[in-house]
Amino acid sequence: MEKELKEHVISMLVNNRPGVLARVAGVFGRLGYNIESLCVAETGSPKISRITSVSKADPDFTEKVKKQLNRLVDVISVNELDDDRSVKREMVLIGLDVNERNRSELFQAVSILGCTVVSLKDSYCILQIVGTKVDVETALNFLKPLVVKDIARTGALALESEI
Amino acid sequence: MERTGAEILLRTLKEEGVDDIFGYPGASTLPIHDCMIESSIRHFLVRHEQAAAHAADGYARATGKVGVCLATSGPGATNLVTGIATAYMDSTPMIALTGQVTTNLLGSDAFQETDIIGITLPITKHSFLVQDPRDMASTVREALAIAKSGRPGPVLIDLPRDVLALRIKEEEAREPGFFNTTELKFGEDERIRLKEIARLLNESERPVLLIGGGVKLAQAFTELSDVIEKVSIPFVTTMMGIGSAYTTNGYNLGLIGTHGMELANRIIHQADFILAVGARFSDRSTSVIEGFAPLATIAQIDVDPTSIGKNIKTDISVVSDIRVSLKELLGLVAEKKRDDWLSRISKERSRIEMEGCADGCGPVGDFIRQVQGNMPEKTIAVADVGLNQIWAVRSWKVRIPRGMITSGGMGTMGFSVPAAMGAKVGDPDHEVVVFTGDGGFFMNVQELATIGFYNIPVKIIVFNNGNLGMIRQIQHHFYSSRFRDSRLSDLVNITEIARGFGIESEKASVHDPGAGIEKLCKAEGPFLLEVIVDEDNFVYPIIPPGRSNIEMIYGRGE
Ligand SMILES: Cc1ncc(C[n+]2csc(CCOP(=O)(O)OP(=O)(O)O)c2C)c(N)n1
Repeated sequence: MEKELKEHVISMLVNNRPGVLARVAGVFGRLGYNIESLCVAETGSPKISRITSVSKADPDFTEKVKKQLNRLVDVISVNELDDDRSVKREMVLIGLDVNERNRSELFQAVSILGCTVVSLKDSYCILQIVGTKVDVETALNFLKPLVVKDIARTGALALESEI
Repeated sequence: MERTGAEILLRTLKEEGVDDIFGYPGASTLPIHDCMIESSIRHFLVRHEQAAAHAADGYARATGKVGVCLATSGPGATNLVTGIATAYMDSTPMIALTGQVTTNLLGSDAFQETDIIGITLPITKHSFLVQDPRDMASTVREALAIAKSGRPGPVLIDLPRDVLALRIKEEEAREPGFFNTTELKFGEDERIRLKEIARLLNESERPVLLIGGGVKLAQAFTELSDVIEKVSIPFVTTMMGIGSAYTTNGYNLGLIGTHGMELANRIIHQADFILAVGARFSDRSTSVIEGFAPLATIAQIDVDPTSIGKNIKTDISVVSDIRVSLKELLGLVAEKKRDDWLSRISKERSRIEMEGCADGCGPVGDFIRQVQGNMPEKTIAVADVGLNQIWAVRSWKVRIPRGMITSGGMGTMGFSVPAAMGAKVGDPDHEVVVFTGDGGFFMNVQELATIGFYNIPVKIIVFNNGNLGMIRQIQHHFYSSRFRDSRLSDLVNITEIARGFGIESEKASVHDPGAGIEKLCKAEGPFLLEVIVDEDNFVYPIIPPGRSNIEMIYGRGE
């Protein structure tokens, strides 16, 4: 029986100490859920990190994952962020060769997409795009014909917009 | 004043109330064993690390204190794994101390290095790697607090040898200042939910209380009995819930589930309201879930939010300390007689008794009752796994809190002998009697040496049916009696083996125990009684896989 899958963004605060990520990831794995993307970094306090994860999952996901995560000693809080009351952003770095043929197209793209050139060395250029998932995907599609050499993409970062 | 990491470890454990450790040394843990000479903590040298974990587990189950086991790095640590998993499944508060290679060698595949934290991640409540002796005291305190709090469980502390050997000044000790999130409160929301549960209970006509292991862990024995008496509610128990309530006035319907009592399974099936306390509705208790208690509204009280609605959808629940909840509930429920319901139950009870399947254990049931009759009232029974476990939990009447110790969630064969050893060390004032099979007995037979060496006066009954009896019963019913790999050797002489370990021992037949029982019960020191049992002495009724709790098989022919 296929259940309907929906994107779930989980934002948690955890103690910033060794082994915590393995425990958190273990919860998803044991329940059979895949992590599509994951961001981890220190918060305002060096003792606390924020983990933001995105999973495509069935409706049972939230309750199961939240309860199991809350059981971990190092997890301080767990929240599911819904689209209406949160802001989500992703970032991608794209590496391309710049040559005679694509130069003008490339710089056109840069101005249309609002990306930033963050590095340009020996005609190898790295672009940075920050935006919603849709923004990032649109940009990637647009740039594909220009022979993209390398891509590094973050998962979603998210914060509640109302408290 | 300067102290080594190992000294700080033992001092902190002692300050926090730890008196006994079960363990086995190795090069990595020698700094600890060296400090044992000056410490007032007793260390019991077992003969296999698995037994150290089971002994710590049995110690905790008998006393309610935290059990502590200790093993060296590598193979010592991995030998603990089955014991840690057993404790985890039954929520035993336990600390597992493991030696580790020196910090500079971590991750280098050094001699006897294993990632024991990684290996035990899914079977510990939490774990710590101590990388600096300055963190030793605070880590030990935090580990003990975690092991005991909320839903208890095993916590592992991995101890690199250099951290154990390094000296620091007392004032160098530091607090990590991390958040500890295990606290639970009882607030307005909980009170409202409890009121609703009380209302449902007051209005119900055929209520049943379902008692799980959580009651024991919360030490809520009197609170529970008070509720039972006030509202005249009959109760059933899970395997872990046995011995949580011990009122004797006919409210106890016994064990439910796959190996449960017919009365308990039939009555819970008819209930219109079930209040589950500290129970997680495991598959062994409910059998096939769709067929479980079809008429009942289900309410659940548990300390662990993940146990709520995990296996069965409950209608209303409270997450809180069970003792606090029950105390509160007592004030909210109405006194009630429920004569109709209770007389319906007692009719059902008489019918089952008339048909002669009250405990369904055959001659072994009578034998166990005879043993109990010869032992003091406050005896602790420890059951292994297999038919012997089902015989014991069905036939032994638990009369004291913590009066039955057995591996429920994990079903670990070989648990009973070391667990009994731990129980007796922790609670020397009570007699401890073990029921085990001839299969499980050999899984930790080496502990007879420990029992003999420390002269720990446990009484061991080995039911020798020459078979892995429970496997044989399953093969009989569900594999058309195609017996394979369930027969054990006739060549083994169990009493001689016991004597070889320096343990007094006798042999008897279940049909005619003769002086065997008396000798066992009168023995001052450890004693082993081998009891010959017919290989077809099965347990009935049983519930086939994939069936509901009332679709029972009554005997060999069906
Ligand atoms: C460590 C372990 N291995 C295997 C099993 C599976 N198992 C459950 S009961 C049983 C038979 C137990 O035989 P015995 O100890 O002789 O007890 P009896 O059933 O005959 O009373 C087995 C093999 C188990 N529970 N634990």
